[in-house]
Amino acid sequence: MAAIEFQGVSKVFSDGTRAVDLLDLKVDEAEFMVLVGPSGCGKTTALRMVAGLEEISEGTILIGGDVVNDISPKERDIAMVFQNYALYPHMSVADNLGFGLKLRKVRRSERRQRVRRAAETLGLEPYLDRKPRALSGGQRQRVAMGRAIVREPSAFLMDEPLSNLDAKLRVQVRAEIHSLQRASGVTTIYVTHDQTEAMTMGDRIAVLRDGALQQVDTPERVYQRPANQFVAGFIGSPAMNIVNARLTRANRSLVASFGDHSLEVDNELVAERPALLAYEGKDVVLGIRPEDLEDAAFIAEVRPGRTLEGVCSLREALGSEELLHFPVAAEANEGVPIGPLEGKYAMLLARVDPQSKMREGDRLRLVADTKRLHFFDPATGRAIYGDQRQVPGRES
Amino acid sequence: MITSRIRRRRKSSERVGSESLMLPGHRMPRIRRRRKPVAGATTQGLISSSDWNRPSVKWGVGAVHALLLVGLVVIGLGPLLWLAKATITPTQDIISNPMAIFPHGATWNNVREAWSPQSVHVGLYIWNTVVICFGSWLVQLTVATTGGYALSVLRPKYARVVTGMLLMTLFLPAVVLLVPLYIMVVNPPLIHHSFINSYWAVWLPAGASSFNVIIMKRFFDNLPRELFEAARIDGAGPVRLFFSVVLPMSKPILGVVSVFAVIAEWKNFLWPFLVLQDASKQPISVRLPAIAGQTELGVLLAAMFIACIVPIVGFLFFQRSFLRGSGLGGAIKG
Repeated sequence: MAAIEFQGVSKVFSDGTRAVDLLDLKVDEAEFMVLVGPSGCGKTTALRMVAGLEEISEGTILIGGDVVNDISPKERDIAMVFQNYALYPHMSVADNLGFGLKLRKVRRSERRQRVRRAAETLGLEPYLDRKPRALSGGQRQRVAMGRAIVREPSAFLMDEPLSNLDAKLRVQVRAEIHSLQRASGVTTIYVTHDQTEAMTMGDRIAVLRDGALQQVDTPERVYQRPANQFVAGFIGSPAMNIVNARLTRANRSLVASFGDHSLEVDNELVAERPALLAYEGKDVVLGIRPEDLEDAAFIAEVRPGRTLEGVCSLREALGSEELLHFPVAAEANEGVPIGPLEGKYAMLLARVDPQSKMREGDRLRLVADTKRLHFFDPATGRAIYGDQRQVPGRES
Repeated sequence: MITSRIRRRRKSSERVGSESLMLPGHRMPRIRRRRKPVAGATTQGLISSSDWNRPSVKWGVGAVHALLLVGLVVIGLGPLLWLAKATITPTQDIISNPMAIFPHGATWNNVREAWSPQSVHVGLYIWNTVVICFGSWLVQLTVATTGGYALSVLRPKYARVVTGMLLMTLFLPAVVLLVPLYIMVVNPPLIHHSFINSYWAVWLPAGASSFNVIIMKRFFDNLPRELFEAARIDGAGPVRLFFSVVLPMSKPILGVVSVFAVIAEWKNFLWPFLVLQDASKQPISVRLPAIAGQTELGVLLAAMFIACIVPIVGFLFFQRSFLRGSGLGGAIKG
């Protein structure tokens, strides 16, 4: 078990691209840290630098308090699980598991015992004599996991280990990896582009974009208090609706208006985010999570200033929920899927009760949870909170 | 070979599929089938599977295939069979009536004579050839695998330049190199002790094959990098990586290079002829032409047949391990 620390780490490739830019991040002992971001954001490069497979251009990486910049992968006492498993095809499962121990001159009897124990944990005992080609995808994935745990390293590095599994298996293995890490208490860095994996597995998640760290926090806080517009749009599925709006004061409360819609900002929210007051009469970027929009038919008491109206252009019934797409006459901000009405219209998405009777072409009346609106500064993209607990992060 | 097997399998499964789709007594109109072939239908070369069902195509193409096959057998196997026949035919009969089959019976005399140490002593020269082949094979594989490994996996900064230079040497005809190579073998640098009349003179130059290094490198290039990285994290150094991961995964290409190496050396004439002047060290390929003038024709043909049959038997024996892919599935992805 060891903490892993990035101190101002950058990676510049020979063609000049900065894959990772001044990354500062501390992964605590026994913590499950998820690096998440769109493809090409530098998350895998960051992981490979910890593994020692990629040279560190600037800064230092510490594992267990020791600088490892110039230490070879084998001396870093880490184990890595690769996206495509990287099993040795000519070796049996048992040999695959034991290879690292063999190279570390672990005695044969102990080796056998540890391989057996790892196989037991992962349910691989019946397959120990098989070659990887005789295993299913899920089993291969487990062998790759086993190769990591059998070594009992001080840290696991996982590079999108679930991306080659089918959806059902992914959920199952996700839970397995999670509980395995809990049980072993080994510091883990897990790289993924899938925000569901990030949200479900991580003790904390670090969101990266273009090599720069955007936010590091627990999944709940990243979801509820995204540091900036990018994080808000990236975390959460379906993605947050983001439109350009204007804050004005009407009566005693703030009103966010976009197109011919306006939503009254709940006073509770304003109290929570006092900085909003400074944006009165100014442009802001408004974010509404699809789950914070509900069909008015399911709300007992609809207070004025909380409804959005539009015509449903697409309905996606998922059984447990229903997604309604509807264009509103407002300027779309980046990150919003824009339909055929590009420019003048933003396509909004609402996640409503599956019992909703709304169909394509129907006039929608949706109620927004105005306590849970998100606001961002249009110039910097930073979330507007105004409390002293501004989440650390870089501007996008 | 592998692809053809897959194709065959796919074809048969497709046939089952299309039949089971049809209800009994309900024949799909042929014209429709031709226009709309079964999804994923494989075509045999230019002829689609639906065309194969037309009798004119089936018989016509079948006849062409049969003719081609017979032609190939006659051309390819004919001389060998004739040689086999001549081996056990008395010299008189071979000369007077080459195409007749045993006009005065068969005899083992030729073979006995060819084998006898007092006469041709084929056994010794075949043994020489085997020794030469084995040594060259070993040297070639060592150079090719280590060279390919260095250029493809270890990849030092200058690897690209070296690869380019290796490629360039492929454009040099071997004959051009004969004289410089000979001079180098007579007075090798550093060692300054002539290799002439020693097997090293054949073994060492065999290793200098840029072709082998390049095909090895190409093969190693296609091995998944993640495996090497996994091995490095598991604690393997470059030597361990080479012997425990790269070589075992390279069996198919090792087989190919081995076949090339052995066959080329088995039939090599010019170079051993130049550097092995001591008759007792010469391989069969050099010895047979040398004794052709003063040896009875039947005996010579028997010796030639023995020289031919050894590599053929060897190939049949090792064929499976050479040509079979060693099953690299499961290394990566699902």
